[in-house]
Amino acid sequence: MDTQALWLTLRLALTTTALLLVIALPLAWWIASGTSAARALVQAVVALPLVLPPTVLGFYLLVALGPLTAPGRLIIGLLGHPLAFSFAGLVVGSVLYSLPFAVQPLVAGFRAVDTALLEVAATLGASPWRAFRTITLPLARPSLIAAAVLTFTHTVGEFGVVLMLGGNIPGATRTLSIALYDQVQDFNYAAANRTAEVLLAFSLVTLLVVYWRGAERRSLLVG
Amino acid sequence: MSARAILPIQTTPQVDVDLRHRIGTLNVDVRFSLTQPWTILFGPSGSGKTTIMRAIAGLVHPASATIVTTLVDVRGQEQSRRLVDTHERHFVECHRRHIPLAAQRASLFPHMTVRQQIGYGMRLMAKDPEDENSGQEVYGEKTEEIFNLFRIVHLADKQPSALSGGEAQRVSMARAAAAAAHLLLLDEPFSGLDMALASEIMQDLQPWAAKRNLCVLSVTHDVAEAFQLGAEVIKLAEGRVVEQGPVEVVLAEERARLLAQLNGAAGSPA
Repeated sequence: MDTQALWLTLRLALTTTALLLVIALPLAWWIASGTSAARALVQAVVALPLVLPPTVLGFYLLVALGPLTAPGRLIIGLLGHPLAFSFAGLVVGSVLYSLPFAVQPLVAGFRAVDTALLEVAATLGASPWRAFRTITLPLARPSLIAAAVLTFTHTVGEFGVVLMLGGNIPGATRTLSIALYDQVQDFNYAAANRTAEVLLAFSLVTLLVVYWRGAERRSLLVG
Repeated sequence: MSARAILPIQTTPQVDVDLRHRIGTLNVDVRFSLTQPWTILFGPSGSGKTTIMRAIAGLVHPASATIVTTLVDVRGQEQSRRLVDTHERHFVECHRRHIPLAAQRASLFPHMTVRQQIGYGMRLMAKDPEDENSGQEVYGEKTEEIFNLFRIVHLADKQPSALSGGEAQRVSMARAAAAAAHLLLLDEPFSGLDMALASEIMQDLQPWAAKRNLCVLSVTHDVAEAFQLGAEVIKLAEGRVVEQGPVEVVLAEERARLLAQLNGAAGSPA
């Protein structure tokens, strides 16, 4: 069992989840609060990683963050090294890759909040920001939890983007899924089996927790 | 009422409304003033009652309107506040108006107890620096009055999902009344309640609102309710004001028709 890879994977997933919630909350709120063409476009772009091969995203990021582009050169100038093949680069890739998993549950959750409630809050003197904090957010809490769990598990399971963008550097970019790939390449099936088991068990347990919580909530509403 | 609860205004505020707005196929074009403590908007459905209420509350951006409230403060000075003036592109945002609207549908916050719903707007009003009617002592006393007034004392710690339709309606009204600074809007407030309870609440609500110098505008299409309230009536039809005046005058015809119907029913084969 590659504990270094396990630790790195968890660190990557936690960082990505924290960053994504900060990014996705305002983005989802904006998408959910109207129906303009601009919103549809943004939503489509956000959803792209769902249908795009992860290697495509990884390739573009590899090029964009490298010395061939102006932003890439700027980053290299600032950091002294390219973002690709570093932990920070993986975080950037993971945030983009898991963006739809954070944004879409939130958009659905925000849209499900009855606008009449927000109107009432306004007539009672609540500013839009206060209404969001005291009405929308508490009512969309299950969606917030779903977004966090999906982002976390999806990042844990990510492979293509990591391989393209991060390579395979122990302690920096070698996540569990990469370690598994390596183990198979080395015909070390026993080790591969253990790594795969960890990933499978982890994913199953987190999904179980999400669905079980959801079922409990629904039965509370019915009962 | 304790002497500590100093009211900031001496008389019921006056509200001047001049509104033109199109909604669906209905052209609302009205001009009226609220000068009495309680005024009723009376008219069939689709006559523009709800649109007028929503425009005053600030939930509608009207095509063309001026809406002004005028208060007389304790020093006897008039204070006018323009809520909307489309000619000068002036529009006070809904949440800065503190004009609560209890809509036909109760729309209670599903994640709050009844007590929290009532406290929600009251707290926000208390925080508003523009409102002098906001001491803590007024707050506790007012809460108790409101719980008694709307007969919801026994519901204080319940969640909305545990309430009946009529109970939810009363909580919605109470929530609005608790947050009202000077003006309270009630859209068919008594329609979901049983008649005995509705008339009890009406009887108590009128003096309570008068004591607090609240101007109340309520919507109804129920002639009996209008007569019980005995208030000023603005009669609407197809988006226009047909008549405004005391209920006995404005709704005389409707009352005669209603009585004739009742007599007819009573006089039919016994």
